[in-house]
Amino acid sequence: MTADAFLFWFLAALTIVSALSVVLMTNPIYSALSLAMTMVSVAAIFVTLQAYFLAGVQIIVYAGAVMVLFVMVLMLFDLKHELQAFTRGRFSGAFKIASIGSLAGLLVGAMYTANVLTVPEAASVANTTPKGAITPLAEELFLRNVFGFEALGVLLLVIAVGTVALSRSKGGTHARH
Amino acid sequence: MPDISILTTITPNHYLVLSACLFMIGVAGVLLRRNLIVLFMSIELMLNAVNLSFVTFSHSFGKVDGQVMVFFVMTIAAAEAAVGLALAVSIFKRFKEVNIRFFEHLKG
Amino acid sequence: MTSMGTTGFEITVNLIKTVLVFLMMVQAVPILVWLERRGSAFIQNRFGPNRVGPLGLLQLLADAVKFLTKEDFAPEKGNRFMFYAAPVFALIPAAIAYMAIPMSVPLKLESATFLIQGFEINVGIVFVLGISSLAAYTILMAGWGSGSKFSLMGAMRASAQIISYELALGLSIVGVILMYGTFNFNEMILQQQGPLSFQAFGYTVSTVALPNWGIFYQPVGMILFFAATFAESNRLPFDLAEGEAELVAGFHTEYGGFKMLMFFIGEYGHMMIASGLMATFFFGGYGIPYVSIQDVQNFGMNLFGSEIAANVFNTVVHFLMYNLKFGLFLWIFIHVRWTLPRFRYDQLMDLGWKTMLPWALANTMVTATVMFVTSYFMF
Repeated sequence: MTADAFLFWFLAALTIVSALSVVLMTNPIYSALSLAMTMVSVAAIFVTLQAYFLAGVQIIVYAGAVMVLFVMVLMLFDLKHELQAFTRGRFSGAFKIASIGSLAGLLVGAMYTANVLTVPEAASVANTTPKGAITPLAEELFLRNVFGFEALGVLLLVIAVGTVALSRSKGGTHARH
Repeated sequence: MPDISILTTITPNHYLVLSACLFMIGVAGVLLRRNLIVLFMSIELMLNAVNLSFVTFSHSFGKVDGQVMVFFVMTIAAAEAAVGLALAVSIFKRFKEVNIRFFEHLKG
Repeated sequence: MTSMGTTGFEITVNLIKTVLVFLMMVQAVPILVWLERRGSAFIQNRFGPNRVGPLGLLQLLADAVKFLTKEDFAPEKGNRFMFYAAPVFALIPAAIAYMAIPMSVPLKLESATFLIQGFEINVGIVFVLGISSLAAYTILMAGWGSGSKFSLMGAMRASAQIISYELALGLSIVGVILMYGTFNFNEMILQQQGPLSFQAFGYTVSTVALPNWGIFYQPVGMILFFAATFAESNRLPFDLAEGEAELVAGFHTEYGGFKMLMFFIGEYGHMMIASGLMATFFFGGYGIPYVSIQDVQNFGMNLFGSEIAANVFNTVVHFLMYNLKFGLFLWIFIHVRWTLPRFRYDQLMDLGWKTMLPWALANTMVTATVMFVTSYFMF
């Protein structure tokens, strides 16, 4: 087995196991920490796909900021084991799981039959640009997608204002007097 | 001797299948869990799965468009988490509970 | 990320090197503790530990024995898994991030070249910032796992502080990144070689009096970065997490013995990362002012007469230079701790969000504008 394959299977197993524990753990803090683990291993997978800068950004933004916020909020709530972590109803539960399974089967089957991804390696990023170069990424982001970039800036501003307003509000129409 | 090339040769399809699995785990979380914050986390999981496919396509087609999309997705995910958590905090202040079973009626 | 090498010899050396850098980091901690205790004693007109061994240096060994033989206890109400996992996770991010900082010129042997750092990454800055931002989890895990109010409140404060100051930290070095045009530490250090010289409006401005260091281009960035690293590593004047008067000892109230020591190593590790980054970004890294790498190489050639000996000499000299700068910044960390009083929590947040963030943003914009104007307009 080559090093590449070993790395992929190791990281894939890590990702899947930690992602599963996000859903299956009944203590939400364990869920949040496993999600952080998932983020870090997805970042490692980005490295195997030669998206070095994105891997770094993934760790800074997701693992370093977003998930810390989640964990902090959960610890503030101080929830112990939940009485009802999962939805009730045997029939609806089975139905949900069956639908998830069939959707997954459809997706995987579609990917194996479609054969879209038999692109020769010669075209890959690794061979056209030096390893980890971010100039092409910057050009794409700031020259061709500059409108989207600015729109995201506006979105972030709106979100920041909205979040502050939400956290300062006394409950709005639901306020207790 | 069975053919083990599927194990030893890693193609973009492997990454896409992994991404599909992650996405499905996220969907399962949204459908099965009842904790508001775990629902948010499952959505983050789905967004990550999408990011993974974007990066895979970007790698195999040799273009950086996919990576730019990942940037956009990450920004939106961070924004969504901020608003979602602010909502969760205000809901927790009001109901002292984050299990969606307790506030499934719109009436306060 | 460069590969670990092609031949068996290269791979072995690279693996040993990674372990060595880690051991270096861990071994530097007792010396720093000694320096801190003696230094604080010096500042406060006391003696400090001076009984065990010469200058009290063997105190470190005695302390290690004490830490290892202490009773290993965990609070009953806490979460045992998190309580034990937190100290381990305190160590890992600091060690991994420290490995990415280059410490000397690459050592060229006959067939292979070895970088004097754990591993080289092209996006070094992003990597170091990302990995060291994972430290917030440790603090939260320790605070939560202890099952104590003081721990939890200390952890909340510390992690809020870390994510607030990360913004200022990241923005303060955007100017540096713009100036050097790279994320790679080695390339940055090579650009800081030689005397101060830059191009403006089509002219070359240069002076032999000053080295070409980042501090002369980014003084505001330097101050902001250094201040933010104090907050990131939870040191005074920003060690709100452990305000003794109100929180006992913050997130590590319940820890004792070796587990406490591991948090200590983590904190010192963050100090070391900060010092290494300061040297790399603003003070020429391992470069020696007024003397180029080639000069040292030639001097070594004259001295020893063999290529390999000259290479080794070159590496060792630059390694010592790096450690000089590194040690200087570590001393500043220690000195500040024993000189400045602690901030109040609202003052800390105000400083981070209302002072440092706007200044860092302004620094970024001014740097970008000046770079654009001076390189696109000719007179």
